[in-house]
Order: sequence, then structure tokens, then C-alpha cells
Amino acid sequence: MIGLFKRAPAVEAACELGRSAVALPLRADCAPPRGAPVVVVDASGHARRAVAPGGKAIPLRDGELAWVFHPGPYQVDLVPFPAAPEIGLRTAVAVDVSDPDVVRHRFDLYLAAEAAGRLDAAQLGAAIEAALRRELEQGGLALPPCATVEEWHAFRRGLNELVYMRFGLVVDDCVPVDLGDRVDHAALLAARAAAGEAPSAPVAIPQAAVAAAPADVALPDARALRRLFLELPGLMCGVRLAALPSDPVQFRRQQALLQRLDLLSVGAATMPALGLAAPQGALEDGEQRRRAHHSGRAAGALDEAWALLARLKGAAQDDLAALYDELDRIVANLEHDCAARRRTGPAGDAGDGETA
Amino acid sequence: MTQRANTTPDTATVRTLLADGATLTVTATRRERAGRADVKCAAPGDPRLAERMRDVVRLARLTEPRFDSRDQVVVSLDRAPAPDERDWELAVVLADRMVRGVWRPAPPGGIVANGWSDAWHLGRVQGHALRQPPPDALLGGPDGLPHLGLLSGHPDPGAAVSVARAWFPLHSGGAADSLCWVEVAVHPLAHAADDEEGTIAVPGQDAARQHAVRAVLAGARHFDARGLGRWRTTVRFGEAQFSGRSYELALVLADRIARGREFVPRGRLLATGCSDAWHAGRVDTVEGIAPKCALLLRAAQPGDRLLLPRAWQPDLPAGFVGGVQAAGASVACVERIGII
Repeated sequence: MIGLFKRAPAVEAACELGRSAVALPLRADCAPPRGAPVVVVDASGHARRAVAPGGKAIPLRDGELAWVFHPGPYQVDLVPFPAAPEIGLRTAVAVDVSDPDVVRHRFDLYLAAEAAGRLDAAQLGAAIEAALRRELEQGGLALPPCATVEEWHAFRRGLNELVYMRFGLVVDDCVPVDLGDRVDHAALLAARAAAGEAPSAPVAIPQAAVAAAPADVALPDARALRRLFLELPGLMCGVRLAALPSDPVQFRRQQALLQRLDLLSVGAATMPALGLAAPQGALEDGEQRRRAHHSGRAAGALDEAWALLARLKGAAQDDLAALYDELDRIVANLEHDCAARRRTGPAGDAGDGETA
Repeated sequence: MTQRANTTPDTATVRTLLADGATLTVTATRRERAGRADVKCAAPGDPRLAERMRDVVRLARLTEPRFDSRDQVVVSLDRAPAPDERDWELAVVLADRMVRGVWRPAPPGGIVANGWSDAWHLGRVQGHALRQPPPDALLGGPDGLPHLGLLSGHPDPGAAVSVARAWFPLHSGGAADSLCWVEVAVHPLAHAADDEEGTIAVPGQDAARQHAVRAVLAGARHFDARGLGRWRTTVRFGEAQFSGRSYELALVLADRIARGREFVPRGRLLATGCSDAWHAGRVDTVEGIAPKCALLLRAAQPGDRLLLPRAWQPDLPAGFVGGVQAAGASVACVERIGII
């Protein structure tokens, strides 16, 4: 009898929600705080939203994962340029909970595809910063020196769109700030000189220098494949909805790109296991590292695709040609990396004659 | 495959000087990938040399933000360098960048480049082996081009010395108009200096110019509030002889970028302007609007940032702003420096 009246235990660290934690994973027998929004992701990756009834656990079926989150807002300081560490953007973001009728929330997809357990505000800030830096480097957003007011507004529009498309977050506020109180560029440079000019984080590591054990690459590889599997259908949906080309040439391009994305999506769903060359045939360590490298790059191409989608949305018909060209590049990169992830041996183009 | 709009030419050549005095020509060609390797290298005689070339090109590409798997680049040498010679590496990297439009030098022909590196994946160029280099050669190493990012003026993200460049137009009345760069290198100071102007060195310029540069930088750092007493600075100019004050805005912005206190443009920063009140961050007008605008319009490349004095705004030539934007660059007429 007592069991009937027993309350489910509360989620661990629930009081950090809305402060340092954005989302916390729910175990099947845990009760989320009353009224808190909950995201339930089923085994095939479809997400649905629920509202915590309070004191009771959310019923979960087999293979389902659940998160409880707090919509925020969260304040993060983004550093848009690695070369300018003393300049930041103080940004407040909030999870989009405005429209309960929207079937697919991007934030739910983000949790399902990328969150491994708890999602911290700092982690989310770092992800937003990485997306912003990538877009600034590639020219999708521009924040030039001595930016005029119009340029700042254009940047803000692009940033809002990017953060909404990529993370499902709404940018409430964003102002440039001087981080000189916390960050001292001179001290950073002096520390680098003391460390013997060791390379800092933003530079990529050459493929040949990567010598991780296969166990270390298995997890990033699995995460990258999960992202491909879950995000490619959403991406296709986004490309279809973002713009309707009126020019028949562009329409045919859009259809061709959608077809290629569809094939990629099928390919991602049938990707072979990292450690297997054939059924019961193990793959050597070096090849496993190569495969994991390519799955990571494919996930990077996904980031670019979401950023491009943010630009595609609301683009003028005249700009569509250039944007589809960019999408063509991203899809080609995805195809290239997915094919390399699938391969068991060195590239098949050896017959081309590297030295001939 | 759909048709792609790529405006860069299919072939690029860069020359390099060998130790025996001969000139080696590096040719890079771009073509549809069609399932082939991303880089193919050819060198007469030596398959190991071709392998080394391919590694250099692939490592140097790791520093680029944009990855395009649709093209194959074929790089070839027209003669074999000596087996232990490595000074051709910079020329191979630059040819590969030119043919893909990553780097667009103003006259695309006639570039001579010498340099080698063990850290191409960081974009660093460690040195060159020429004893008597020709004056217009692009040389790797600390005295020339220490980092590939400096081709567009950006500091090396991993180096202990922050070096940034900005360009300003030199107007000499016609055909000899050209862009000149100003380079600011800042080293952190262990102990705060009392005299800011004493920490600024301007090698290769006369006393009046040295004094002017010191006064400008001290004033602009005073405006910045966090610039004083932290840095030892070296300023270099692309030309030894020039007159006028229109380099001041480029100098101030290169200094701000080197100190990590300014937004960084995607391409180069081209600026013209001077001021009598840098301590207030004000930008005053300079002479020569028509020829300088014509020069800047010719020089503008994708990602470049053009900064002009606010007083020029009503007098800008018709079609200037549109032309700059069509080239992929952006332009602003500014009254004051500082972010936003």
C-alpha cells in the first residue's frame, strides 16, 4: 500500500536548472519539477514535448530518453574572433517554447542528436561560439572593424537566424562588451612564449599526427553518426521549406540537391560499424581512425549546412543561385566524407597515379 | 553535376629560385574532381618529391576554414630541385591557394616565393634559404612572411608575438598608385613602461616619421584605455619612402587588431585617414578622394574591409559603393574608431 503513495525521487541537481544547467537527463523513475517542459526522444529519434505533472515520473517506453529543461534565458559571453580575445558579445539566449503547436522543435533535435547527458549553459555557449566563429570565417556573417549601425543590425539578424536554425534558441539580447577585465591578451601571449609557442586550440591537428586508440575514436564516431542519422531528414525538410525558387533552373537544382541529401540520409542509416571491415572481419586501428576522422568531418559539414539554411531562409530570389552553389559544395563534402567513412581500405583513386 | 559559378582562373603559376640560381616554375591546375584524389603532384624524376609536395599542400590546407571536395588540384614543377632542397614549398602552397581563389594577389603573375616550414599545418613559414633575394620576392620566415594568415593581415593564432597588417593607398599621380602595407608587431612587456613612445620602434624610417608614428600610436592607445604600458611594439612599412599622413588610420587599426582589441575582417583591411585627435578616436579627412577610390575599387577583393573618413561620404564617386560590394568587399565611412 505504501508504494502507492511513494513520491518519485526528484531529478538530481534540479535546482541548477535555469542557472548553470540548461537540460538534465531524466531517468525513468525520476520526477521532474512541476510544470517544467520535458523532451522525450524515442528510439528512432523522434522527439515530443510534455509538461511535468509534478511529483510523478514521466512514463518512458523502452529505448526512450528524456530531458527536462529550463527555457532560460541564459547569458553567455561569446568571443567572435580567436585573434581578439578581449572583445566579446554578451548574449542572452532562451529556448523557444513560444509555439506549442510546432511539431518539430529544433532544440529537441539538438538535445536528441548532440546532448550526451547533461547540457550545461557553458557547453551550449561554447557550441554557439563555435558556430558563430565558423560562420564569420566563411563569410556568412560579417562583423567588420568599425561596423556601422546598419552592419550591426544585419549581423544581429543573421545571428538570430543562425542560433535559431542551429540550436532552436532565441537571441534575446546581444551587445558588444570589453572583456579586458577578465582576459589579458598580453598575458596570453606571454604564457604562449613561456610554453615554447605550443600551438593553441584553434589550429587543426594533422591527420597523420593523430594517434588515438580505437577506443577513443569510437565514441566521437558514434556521436557523429547519430547526428547524421537524426539531422539529415530535418535538414532536407528545412531546405524544402526555406525557399521556393521561382526560376525553373534553380528549382531543378533544389530538387537535385534534395535527392542527393535523401541518398545521404539512407547512406547514414546503413553505415557500417566502425570496427568491422566485413561481417566478422575486424578492421585495423589505422583504418578505424581514418573512418572516425571522416565521420567527424561529415558532422562539421552538417554544421555548415544548418548555418546555410539560416541564410537560405528569407533569401531573395536573386541570391538563391549563390546559396544553392554553397549547398552543392556542402552536399559534395558530405558525400565525400560519408563515402570515405564507408570504405574499408585506402582511397580507391590510387589508380589515378599520385605521381604519374 | 550542376554548373558552378567559379570566377577564379583554372591555372596559376608561381616561381621560386633554386640554390643554383635557376628559376623553377610551379604550375597549379584546377579541374573537376570526378572521384579522383584531392591533390595530385608531379615532379620530374622523383616520386618521393611528389609525395612531399602532396603532404605540404594537404597540411597547408588544414589552416583554411573552407573545405571544397569538388575540385582536384594538380601541382607540377618544371624541373627537379636538388634532393635536400626545400625552398620550393612556399611556392607550391601559394600556387595551390591561388588556383582555388583562396589568395588573390593583385597582379596574379610574376610572383616569386621562397620559403620552407616544418609546421605547414599551423600555417607558419619558418624560413628561406636565399642569400641574395630579389627585392620583390615573397620570402618566408620572421623577416618576411612568418605566417600564411599575414597575406591578408591576420595575426597567427598560436604565436607569442601578435603581428597584424593593414593596407593604405599611396597616390603618386597616376600609374604608380599602389597599396602599401603597414605592419604592427606587439610583444608583451614584463614590466609596465612609463614612457609609451619609448616602447615603439619604427625601423627603416626617418626621424620625423618615427616621431609621428609614436605619437599616433600613443594617442590611439590612450583612447583605447587598455593599450598603455603593456606592449613593446615594432612598426614596419612596405615602402621606405612615402609622404603624407594618410597611413595613420591603417596604422591605428593594425595596432588594434594586433592587440586583440578590434573585430577582424575576413580579408584585408584597406584604410585611409588621419587625425589630429587620436586620443579622442576621431578620424579626419585626407586628400585625393578620386584617385584613391579608383585604386581601392581596383584592389577590393572578397572579404576585404575598406575604411574611409566620414567627410568623404557625400563625395564618393558614383557606383563606388556598389562596385566594392559587387567585389565581395564592404566599405564604411567612419567618424570615430572603436567597435560599433
